[in-house]
Amino acid sequence: ISDQKPLGCWSVKHGQILTCPVVCNFETHEYIAVHDNKVLRIWKNEDLNLDKAFKATLSADVYRIHSLPHGGPVVLFKGGAVRTLDVLLEAPQQEIENVISAEVIRWSGAFMEGQEPVLIFTTKKGGDFFVYVQKPKLSSLHKYKLEQQESAKPLCFTAHITNQTVTLLCLYSNSSVYQVLIPLQQDTEEEEEVLSKSLLLNLSVSGDVLKGTSLVVLDKDHIAVLGSLPAPGKQPRECLTIWNTKFQTLQTSKELPLGTSGQLWCYEEKFFLIHGKVLTVIMYKCETSSLAAAVGKLKDSQTPDVSSFVNWNTLEDEELMVSFQSQESVALKVQSRMNLRSSRSTGAEETLPVGQLLLKLKDAPTYVLETELRKLMAKAPTPDLQATIGCVVTALIDRCKRSPKYYPQNFLQEIVETRDLSYSLCPDLMAIALEKKDMHLLQICLERFPDIPEEITYACLKAFLSMSEDHLQTIDINLDSAICYVDVEFNDKEVKTEILENGFGAEMDQDMCDTKIPKASQIDESCPVGLQKAALLNAVLHSAYTETFLLPHLKNLPAGQAILFLRYLYYLYVKCSEKVNTTLPGIRSPTINQIMDWMCLLLDAQFTVMVMLPEAKELLSNLHKFVRAQVRFYSELNKIEGSLRELQRLNHLRESQTYSIEVLEII
Amino acid sequence: CLACHPRGARLALARTDGAVEVYNFAANYFQEKVIPGHEARSVESLCWAAGDRLFGAGLGGDITEFDLSGLSAARGADGGGGPIWSMVANGTGSQLAIGCEDGSVKIFQVVPGGIQFERNLDRRKGRVLCLSWHPSDTHIAAGSIDFFRVIDVTSGQTVQRIMLNHHVEKAKRECVVWAIALLSGGTVVSADSFGRVQFWDWERATLAESHTVSTSAVLSLAVSEKEDSIVVGTSTGATYQLQLLPVRLGGQEKRWVRTKPFQFHSHDVRAVAHSPTALISGGLDAQLVIRPLMEKMQKKGYEAALRKFTFPHRRLVSCARKARLLLFQFSQYLELWRLGSTEETGKDGEVLPLCRMPEHLVQLKSKGPEHIYCSCVSPCGTWLGYSTASRFQLYRVRCDGDGVSLSKVPKVPKLLPPAYQLQFSADSDRLFVASARGSVHIFQLLEPGGCKHLHTLRPPSGCSEAVYLLAPSTDGHWLAAVSGDWAIHIYNLKCFKHHCVVPAYDCAVSALAIHPSTNNLVIAYSDQQLFEFSIPEKQYTSWSRALQSRGLPDDSTLLMNQSTLKQLPETARKRQLHAFKICKKFQPLLFMDLLDKNCLVVVERPIMDFKTQLPLPVQQKKFGT
Repeated sequence: ISDQKPLGCWSVKHGQILTCPVVCNFETHEYIAVHDNKVLRIWKNEDLNLDKAFKATLSADVYRIHSLPHGGPVVLFKGGAVRTLDVLLEAPQQEIENVISAEVIRWSGAFMEGQEPVLIFTTKKGGDFFVYVQKPKLSSLHKYKLEQQESAKPLCFTAHITNQTVTLLCLYSNSSVYQVLIPLQQDTEEEEEVLSKSLLLNLSVSGDVLKGTSLVVLDKDHIAVLGSLPAPGKQPRECLTIWNTKFQTLQTSKELPLGTSGQLWCYEEKFFLIHGKVLTVIMYKCETSSLAAAVGKLKDSQTPDVSSFVNWNTLEDEELMVSFQSQESVALKVQSRMNLRSSRSTGAEETLPVGQLLLKLKDAPTYVLETELRKLMAKAPTPDLQATIGCVVTALIDRCKRSPKYYPQNFLQEIVETRDLSYSLCPDLMAIALEKKDMHLLQICLERFPDIPEEITYACLKAFLSMSEDHLQTIDINLDSAICYVDVEFNDKEVKTEILENGFGAEMDQDMCDTKIPKASQIDESCPVGLQKAALLNAVLHSAYTETFLLPHLKNLPAGQAILFLRYLYYLYVKCSEKVNTTLPGIRSPTINQIMDWMCLLLDAQFTVMVMLPEAKELLSNLHKFVRAQVRFYSELNKIEGSLRELQRLNHLRESQTYSIEVLEII
Repeated sequence: CLACHPRGARLALARTDGAVEVYNFAANYFQEKVIPGHEARSVESLCWAAGDRLFGAGLGGDITEFDLSGLSAARGADGGGGPIWSMVANGTGSQLAIGCEDGSVKIFQVVPGGIQFERNLDRRKGRVLCLSWHPSDTHIAAGSIDFFRVIDVTSGQTVQRIMLNHHVEKAKRECVVWAIALLSGGTVVSADSFGRVQFWDWERATLAESHTVSTSAVLSLAVSEKEDSIVVGTSTGATYQLQLLPVRLGGQEKRWVRTKPFQFHSHDVRAVAHSPTALISGGLDAQLVIRPLMEKMQKKGYEAALRKFTFPHRRLVSCARKARLLLFQFSQYLELWRLGSTEETGKDGEVLPLCRMPEHLVQLKSKGPEHIYCSCVSPCGTWLGYSTASRFQLYRVRCDGDGVSLSKVPKVPKLLPPAYQLQFSADSDRLFVASARGSVHIFQLLEPGGCKHLHTLRPPSGCSEAVYLLAPSTDGHWLAAVSGDWAIHIYNLKCFKHHCVVPAYDCAVSALAIHPSTNNLVIAYSDQQLFEFSIPEKQYTSWSRALQSRGLPDDSTLLMNQSTLKQLPETARKRQLHAFKICKKFQPLLFMDLLDKNCLVVVERPIMDFKTQLPLPVQQKKFGT
């Protein structure tokens, strides 16, 4: 709202009072107002005089009108009865029953549940609070009693509907937000079911308690509370706060020194509130809730660095929480109180040199070792941090070598994922991973290490190709690079949606068991390898290499595997060519140049094998045909490009010169 | 203005500088004849009368007959009513009616050798801007400002006077009737400055139909011979066709319907004409546009293509190959330029740096009001000649260092001007002057600055038309000359004798040249045919015969232009090579000549260059401006 001019203004006659908020009927673009409790007015934007607008006098007092985007307006009477506007306008004088007795409505809200409007309101009678859920179209009514709370009473309500369940949030006078779940699909006719509530959030800011006056729900993890903070010796400061309910943190706050009316509205990612004498509009944006965001550590989204992603599934580990807590930093601008379940003190007193420490831990029990190493890594970045981590990894690997049963898979993965390691820092890591057949770790290493020797790259490739599909399905692998283009038939639709929502490969191995792997022989268009193998091979395609060093190794690739790999490269190539920009969708998916280079390399290395092998014949001929077609196509493009460039050149020439001597070759 | 020949064979056109041009429809709209302008002559109106005689009248108040074989304004007669705004010939072509500034309409009788004043018709106040004869010659409609009237020719009385600005809100402005047509059924069609085309029943003085075709003035109007189609031109550059169509399919009742809008011009459409098969329009943007009517065309092809004539169909630039000079001919002056040069070489498409910039050597202004007919510079660059309607001038050009001096050659032999074409021989020894009645004069050029008449070549059978194209052979042995009757005569210059005539071909010759090594005459006709004629053997060459039997490649043949060919890979290029070296990199070309074996000079004339020199068109609201 840049200039606060009214677009329209209507007023009731002197002596009349508007008794409930005016709403807009989104379907007819009409405004609906109630004055003097009973008189309904309906008018359009172009109507100038409210007095001449449509008028209907009702037989009972109206509490509020709720307008729903696809459901039309619903009228809630003070007696608790609910009517849709359509029904009401058919017979304005119809009798309105009294649903509540001696109770006063405190709050009401309306939602759409499928095609049906649902109206919820809370009432108060003495110290008791009741919740009513009404579906006016089905004439169903449910009454619930709210669980009593000692020494506190609800101040403000808000609600939202998800999955047939109403979530009612109540702001209590003890500065806590409670959550009440009300199932909609309930046919029990029990009288006055008592609803239990659960504590969602304590509104405390560094010891001070925010006295909230109103709250709104922003998304599933965020709420906004308007309230005041007590200030010693001064007037309480009013402020608008956004809270993360998942991590129990205060996300941000804004002081409102001029005071507010205590009311807060929120539409389409904007807050509306009365600040002093003006209506203030504040835009907001809720990032996807993440721990990093909650502790104020979210990296700049401009540089999406994979290392900033945290695997939430490991959050169960106490230790990780500790490591995070130890990181809990000064950078946290908004002083937040984290309700962490563990509050172990940080081991900052450790000052031993790394070498000594490692030496000391050489024979320590496994869990001690890991704990100490974590502590070591959690230290603030120092110039030799990389080297320190290298030492840590080396220490771990040494132990692996010594005791064959020991292999800290998750810990290693975590280190590789979150730290900027390189091959040379921990030369044995990949060898041990190969030995242990830790495909996921190899994948991560291939994607991240800039300096993998060609020998190891080849070993990985060979390992990936030789691995059976069935076995791969049981392994946790990041499928991001392949999931977007490999055509996989899912039996279970649910699985698919979940994958998309998560956005990263979080322990999908169990879900992927249902995946049908199309056999290479089935159709030409289908992917010759499974999703997991494709993702692993993509990691190989991504790794850096020098042709001359890789070629000798590639010559040793068994013929069957070479053909399978070539088939997969061909498949990628065809997939790439489907798009105008010749890129594959997805994160870290191979580029056309990588595909081409590997294809050339493979054909070079396996030339004699390819010529000899009968099963390669068809593949090679198809590949040749396709490449030829592409060459033809691009030569056509060349022509167009040449003409266009010529045009541009001519245009350029014309601009300046009225006389020129040009070379014109006549062919 | 434009005037279509009644039988639709030719179109006469007058430009604001007084030049008159004749286009031949049969010869592919070839610009057959050009009578250069004259400062004092303005031609507001042109009409064909008494067969093929062309008359023009203008604001000078004179009626001029144009000599189409001698390409000059022949006889004039005073109209006697001040500036003449319009002139029309009656259906038989025996009488001319002129509308004058003083409001009079006068009738002239076309007689052999001239015109004769016959009588005045009823004179009313207000200049007569447009006139139209009834096809039966009984009445004349005359348009003025705010009204038009219909005059009975026999009695000379005005029988109806119709005001046009009644019931119009804009009545405070005057309504100029820019064009009028009287149809055989008694309908008067008027086009006015309010943008209306109106159909009146003049006898009852009622308005039958009114079409507002434009927000600005409708300036010109022409009716087809069958009176079922009208073309109008407006001051926004748009032209519209109105057609008389049945209200219901197969029904009897017909109405005029505005059918096709065209926007070919950027400025006022000052004149329109309606040939049986095409809409023709000419405007202030100097363009003549011929838009063939698709429904009148048998098949799609070149005949049906839209034509825009921007450049004259004759040579305005001549080139001194050896001296590397270009002579540009403007209407009243000549400009001599020396071409720039370079010492570099380069690859295809490169622009080479100039070591010497092109240099404007001299501007030569023609004295007197007459415009220049033709001009030429000799290959060695030392001689320069031009001709106007009454004078022929020869100059000696001397370049000494940076300075250039021109000296007029004294005592140029007196011959009957004008010269229609000048051509120097390849050794710059002789000058050939194309002249009237098919004759070519040969001058011997003498050092240090003189000339004498050597011989006059004439076709043995005689000819009434002027010679308009000349082509001498490089060895100085032969001369080919084309006259207005399209006959090509070849003369032997060694013995000044007529050698032979190229077999008659019924189309205008647009260009011809003699091959320097074979002495074969190559002729291009305006119907896009190419012939090669062997002068020594006096017959078409076998190549020419083969070409005629096979025909030139038509539209369906794929001929790749040079830039496309250059894009192709070597093997494909070899397959696609052909004899026609098409180069599309240039803007519209005014002139092209070979300087030497490896050097080609082309003169571009971008349309935008002269569009920018025109006055601003009527303001039109365009989206986004």
